Amino acid sequence: MIQYNEFRLSNGLQVIHHEDPSTQLCVLNVLYKVGSRNENPDHTGFAHLFEHLMFGGSINVPEFDTELQAAGGESNAFTSNDITNYYITLPANNIETGFWLESDRMLSLDFNQKSLDVQKNVVIEEFKERYLNQPYGDIWLKILPLAYQKHPYNWATIGKNIEHIEASNLEQVKAFFENFYAPENAILVVAGNIGLEKTKALCQKWFEPIPARKTIIPPYLQEPKQTEARREHVYEDVPVNLILKAYKMGGRMDNDYFDADLLSDILGAGKSSRFFNKLVKELGLFSELDTYISGDVDPGLFLIEGKLMKDVDFETAEAAILKELEFLKSEGVTKVELEKVQNKTETNIHFGDVNVLNRAMKLAFAAFLGDISLVNTEVGSYLQVTTKSLQEVAKNMFREENCCTLYYHAKP
Amino acid sequence: MSLNRSQAPSFNLINSLVFPHYENILLSNGIPFYQLKAGTEPVIRLDFVFTAGMIHQAKKGQAFFTASMLSEGTKTKSAQALADALDYYGSYFQVRSNTEDTVATLYCLDKHLENCLSIFIEALSESVFPKKELEIQKKNNIQKLLISLKKNNYLCRKGFYRHLLGEGHPYASFSEKQDIEAIIIDDLKAFHQKYILNGLNYIMLSGNYSLHSTKIISSTVENSGLKVGALEPLNILAKSNLGKHFYEKADSVQSAIKIGKITINRQHPNFRKLQFLNLIFGGYFGSRLMKNIREDKGLTYGIYATLEPFKELGVWCIDSDINTKNRQVGIEEIYKEMKLLRTELINNDEFETAKNYYLGSFLRSLDGPFSIADRLKIIIDNSLPNDYYPEFVGVLNKTTPEELMKIAQEYFTEENLVEMVVGQK
Repeated sequence: MIQYNEFRLSNGLQVIHHEDPSTQLCVLNVLYKVGSRNENPDHTGFAHLFEHLMFGGSINVPEFDTELQAAGGESNAFTSNDITNYYITLPANNIETGFWLESDRMLSLDFNQKSLDVQKNVVIEEFKERYLNQPYGDIWLKILPLAYQKHPYNWATIGKNIEHIEASNLEQVKAFFENFYAPENAILVVAGNIGLEKTKALCQKWFEPIPARKTIIPPYLQEPKQTEARREHVYEDVPVNLILKAYKMGGRMDNDYFDADLLSDILGAGKSSRFFNKLVKELGLFSELDTYISGDVDPGLFLIEGKLMKDVDFETAEAAILKELEFLKSEGVTKVELEKVQNKTETNIHFGDVNVLNRAMKLAFAAFLGDISLVNTEVGSYLQVTTKSLQEVAKNMFREENCCTLYYHAKP
Repeated sequence: MSLNRSQAPSFNLINSLVFPHYENILLSNGIPFYQLKAGTEPVIRLDFVFTAGMIHQAKKGQAFFTASMLSEGTKTKSAQALADALDYYGSYFQVRSNTEDTVATLYCLDKHLENCLSIFIEALSESVFPKKELEIQKKNNIQKLLISLKKNNYLCRKGFYRHLLGEGHPYASFSEKQDIEAIIIDDLKAFHQKYILNGLNYIMLSGNYSLHSTKIISSTVENSGLKVGALEPLNILAKSNLGKHFYEKADSVQSAIKIGKITINRQHPNFRKLQFLNLIFGGYFGSRLMKNIREDKGLTYGIYATLEPFKELGVWCIDSDINTKNRQVGIEEIYKEMKLLRTELINNDEFETAKNYYLGSFLRSLDGPFSIADRLKIIIDNSLPNDYYPEFVGVLNKTTPEELMKIAQEYFTEENLVEMVVGQK
């Protein structure tokens, strides 16, 4: 059970406090409610590029990292389709340094051309290192445009292409900051060895003077229901064939979310899973076969990703996957299988909660979803899943007209 | 009163670190049982550390396949029966084959330990290594190797270690396809007999466990048939092929780079100072390499210098992926930064910032049960005193920029380097 307090500053900033006297550390986690889904389709990758610029100095603090390191702290951030999340960890008695730094970069950045130019290059190198210079590194860049024709999940957080990153200019950076990096568009979590009164006092001192701005979240298109199977073939310099099947599923707050998550465990997680035992070991069709969900806030994807054994063709491999899915739809799952993945989920949640930073991030994300108590009701939601609901969700989801398939051929 | 945001709030320096209390009891069969109770969540981690590393194997792949086959069946349970039984209780069974040891770990909720423990130990002590399962694993690992061979980073790491230590050196053990094909059941059985069944070095329990759990672990391990043992590694001298090496990989948009040398390890009195110097050079986000090559020039997404302190020797290595066009500039800057540390004193601000950051990183690593358990493993494996981490405060407070310059002059020289580059011509 994660205990927390919640309050709101006069400028609209939502604050969540979580005290843990067992740690010597304090965490500041700031979630901005902007991700790649809020980008202009002609300027993709911008939310993530902007995340880099947040470390390039703010209006009163030229060197963010140096000041933080001098106080014994560390910081990082990530950008997803839905959010941008920043975190700082410090020795508990130095937490005010974190308040100073985080509030200053919420107040205003030191917009400068040099920082933008350098970070554009850094992000382009990141693009190459993670997506272009790795075998199969670009599957995400290929499957998203196939799966999303209207919705901005059409592109990856890194951006559609390097040209979009190169084209960013300082005017766009300023406008993006002005609109999205406002106190009323953020959630601050203060966690660790710090009391509520001290948290309130520091929030009032450092964050409350930041003026409210009027954030406008530009509307974006929702994805229409997919009605026919989509398939794409690509040919690359890779050693073995790969198949990626993406079935449409609900979003984070939809009813089928927890069922789909557990189905991905039943099918593909670990050595007791169905796919591993049938398709990898018994039939020897794949060397690796994973299932996972994208976990997005808007309706997302249930993915099956497999590397085919050298002598196996796509038809055989795909037919075997479909046969397993048909079996699941007609026969359902056993009670033991369900209990197993529920127990696994319970373990995962407890292990995740060991770390105070993870708890802080979880609180911020639950608040973003609109209900902080989700951090404590999550286990219950998984326990409410039944064999019946799993079968229903499987029947509804695993239809080829609801699926996009990428055939990633090894060039001969 | 208006707030002066240009003025940094005052902060405190870390003037002491505490290594949490732990127990070490000797089981009746001579196996040391370390117990580190920490954390508030009802989770535990149980590690079995075997003196069974790649440095102990007579044949490439022997340690790796023995480790990965431990979950593939026992006298009474098939691979799937083992997996079903452990997964049902939501536990995780992981076996890692490392350079110097093999570590089998059980992660679970404290309430399920009793149900999982005997299965976990059965997998370790009564493995039968079925032939069919080995053939599947060999095939899958050959496929994984084919994919690794397409990665610049993998090729660079392999090239670097082979040139630095020599083809047959146990710390440079990279399996080829024919090595995997040559592994047979008897290799695994022999390695298992010698290094797993008779090579248990110690066990370590961490997390928020109950007294009941420690009792059943003690009695189960005492009756397991696993025997304590710490066998000597195969001692092979390094045969370096120093200098610059290039491996061409056409169509690479980036080049993988590793530059480094053989250096001292934890047993050496200068090691902690070298660690601190290396932090300033390339060990954190505020390091010289990161600030120059990423944050000033934008040539890479990341650049790091690391120290790998093995038991027999240490390896120092600078590691980055740099865009092909500017590769040479990047490499020159690396050498320039090494030279600067040898020839110019680190200024006081940079020195103090790095020191404070370093102490903060110790505070972070001594927070939370599993992070502390990782530190405890380093202490046990290297026979270090309990105050090894707390002592860092004193060591760093006594170190001066002058001393670090001397350390740089001794260890950051351009002699005996291997420079490995993989990428486009």
